[in-house]
Amino acid sequence: MATPLLEVKNLNVAFDTERGQIRPVRDVSFSVFPGQTVAIVGESGCGKSVTALSILRLIPQPPGRVLGGEIVLDGRNLLALSEREMRGVRGKDIAMIFQEPMTSLNPVFTIGDQIAEAVTLHQRISNRQAYAVAEQALRDVGIADPGRRLHEYPHQMSGGMRQRVMIAMALSCQPRLLIADEPTTALDVTIQAQILELLRKLQRERGMSILLITHDLGVVAENADVVNVMYASRVVEAATVEDLFDRPQHPYTEGLFRSVPKLGQKIDRLETIPGTVPNPARFPTGCKFHPRCPRTRQLAAAAPAEQTMEAAAAGERFRVMRVCVEQEPDLREVRGRHWASCHFAENYPQAKPTAPQLDHHRPEVAAPAAAPDLIATAAKEEYKP
Amino acid sequence: MSQQQQQTSPPTARVAQRQVQLSAGDVAGAPVIEVRDLRTHFPIRRGVFSRTVGQVKAVDGVSFDVREGKTLGLVGESGCGKTTVGRTILRLIPHTSGEVRYRGRDLLALGGRELRGLRRHMQIIFQDPVSSLNPRMTVGNIIGEPIQVHGIARGRARDEMVAGLLERVGLDPSYAARYPHEFSGGQRQRIGIARALALNPDFIVCDEPVSALDVSIQSQILNLLDDLQRERRIAYLFIAHNLAVVEHFSDEVAVMYLGRIVERAGADDLYANPKHPYTMSLLSAIPEADPRPKRVRIVLPGEVPSPSNPPTGCPFHPRCPLARQVAAEAGAADTTTIESAGDPVRVLRKCVEEIPPLEQKQATPGHVAACWVTK
Repeated sequence: MATPLLEVKNLNVAFDTERGQIRPVRDVSFSVFPGQTVAIVGESGCGKSVTALSILRLIPQPPGRVLGGEIVLDGRNLLALSEREMRGVRGKDIAMIFQEPMTSLNPVFTIGDQIAEAVTLHQRISNRQAYAVAEQALRDVGIADPGRRLHEYPHQMSGGMRQRVMIAMALSCQPRLLIADEPTTALDVTIQAQILELLRKLQRERGMSILLITHDLGVVAENADVVNVMYASRVVEAATVEDLFDRPQHPYTEGLFRSVPKLGQKIDRLETIPGTVPNPARFPTGCKFHPRCPRTRQLAAAAPAEQTMEAAAAGERFRVMRVCVEQEPDLREVRGRHWASCHFAENYPQAKPTAPQLDHHRPEVAAPAAAPDLIATAAKEEYKP
Repeated sequence: MSQQQQQTSPPTARVAQRQVQLSAGDVAGAPVIEVRDLRTHFPIRRGVFSRTVGQVKAVDGVSFDVREGKTLGLVGESGCGKTTVGRTILRLIPHTSGEVRYRGRDLLALGGRELRGLRRHMQIIFQDPVSSLNPRMTVGNIIGEPIQVHGIARGRARDEMVAGLLERVGLDPSYAARYPHEFSGGQRQRIGIARALALNPDFIVCDEPVSALDVSIQSQILNLLDDLQRERRIAYLFIAHNLAVVEHFSDEVAVMYLGRIVERAGADDLYANPKHPYTMSLLSAIPEADPRPKRVRIVLPGEVPSPSNPPTGCPFHPRCPLARQVAAEAGAADTTTIESAGDPVRVLRKCVEEIPPLEQKQATPGHVAACWVTK
């Protein structure tokens, strides 16, 4: 088995607030292997972005604090590095792109200045050479006329173009890991398709790993090799992308899949997950998903009374399994190479809590030959000069 | 600017002659809103004296009906004019030309008092549930204000109505005393919906009502809007960029590109049998929640052009994959070379020179598209 490029082990992050401590990341463990795309998927406030920022040690301290855990990049624990050593890692070994490219680019410097600065920080080369690298970087991300674009300012570009510039800047130092935090959320679908294709192409050419942070299950399904689902500061399910979509084990993952309308499958009514994502300052006891969980309610309806208890959420009272309220489940390998944290996932009681290790690369994605190519069909059947 | 772009049309004459069916699919029922050749242009001003140097044609000749108890989905990318359409209909933005009728009455010609009288029948739900609620007002006042302003109820009676509305949108009536910041995004969107319902409207513009919400909350809000429509026969103009959401939610769908409708059809027809290459591309670009792709992805080159300087002919031609594919087989006289995203490409000459009309295609009656290539 290959060695992982990045290993996050039992990461715990806390924020001290006026109303006490909150824990946005609890016991998070996952690995990223070379050339792999690993997704962290979850809703707002689940801790996915804080996890990403702590890998680069970009959590503001105070109020943030890493309580424990290790972040190992190529055998080096990043949490033990000095701030000076860490600056050598940021941008060079690990680069990051953000959701909103406008706020991540400096409005008063040209695109060329900003990319060249990133390059000269990590490489001993002249300014002229740095601009040449910057120009090539812009060309690599598919920007037309890069020589002219170098001298433009961020406001002169569209959202899609700015995201390309961000990617060019992030990749200018040939990082081995790219953290992409919601890279296409602010973009239109046709531009999103361009950017995702660009990322896949650059990854193939350079063999870099990508940690993809997103809430979009479609983006995950099409781009990730391995997926970690986060809920209430924890990874609640980890599996290969195929296993996750074919056989979700956690009721939260199941609920997410069912509540998204799918193109071409018209249904009368969407299924929903009741209630809302819990606030980290007021997490429920036990399994953090139990107030919204359809599985525990269903089981409680058929279970003997002593195994169940009453719970209340969103002004509603219902019965749930006692163990879900009293004990928080840990992440266990409930099927081969498939981790979930649910008391009632198959084999949960027999399984051992372990940190997920998933060295999986999905096969090259290509639509099946039978898939309709609308444009080709239209060109053939419709057009008569 | 070319001759074609400057051409404005005397709307009424044309509208009267027009026999194209303005709705499709399963959308029987009286039209609540009829929009005919609506145009909204914004002036571009420059210099010390703010001279008008050009126009942004945000909405450039749009026609459709929204029928009682039905939903028309309006989709397109940012800048295509879909939000401007919604706001122009409600007269939140002044129009340039065209007609909007509410149950037969010309909305755009109404004056102050008459307009206020009709406004109670037409409401809007905004995308951002944070900035659309006044942070200094209690939820009870936010929802109760329109009830009072329109003289429907005051005092205890008003508070009872507010409580009933809160309950209907799935919130506890005691929340009336709280302020918007105390609520989550989904709850705030429910408050926005309660406010829109307060005057018992029969037409609501839903402007991206779920795109700011988490996935697990989106389906809750969509189901709520659906229930309300069934109960109260409300007509929705549902504006969104997410085609999967629009397909699920709409009876009829109109696709906009650069201020124009390029395709309009019953929701099922549009998805099963798209007739405009832009619709085809949009449909193919949505990431599928399935690790094994079932569709061929069409990645469009370039970006949406600026509406202040739209391309000649078909506004989609610089990005159109169909115009290129067909040009490869067409005779040299029928094609021409253009620049697209920095590359020279050959496309059909007709697409560059003439604007295609929105016309009935070989599909279900009422399925119209504006494309020179598809039949």
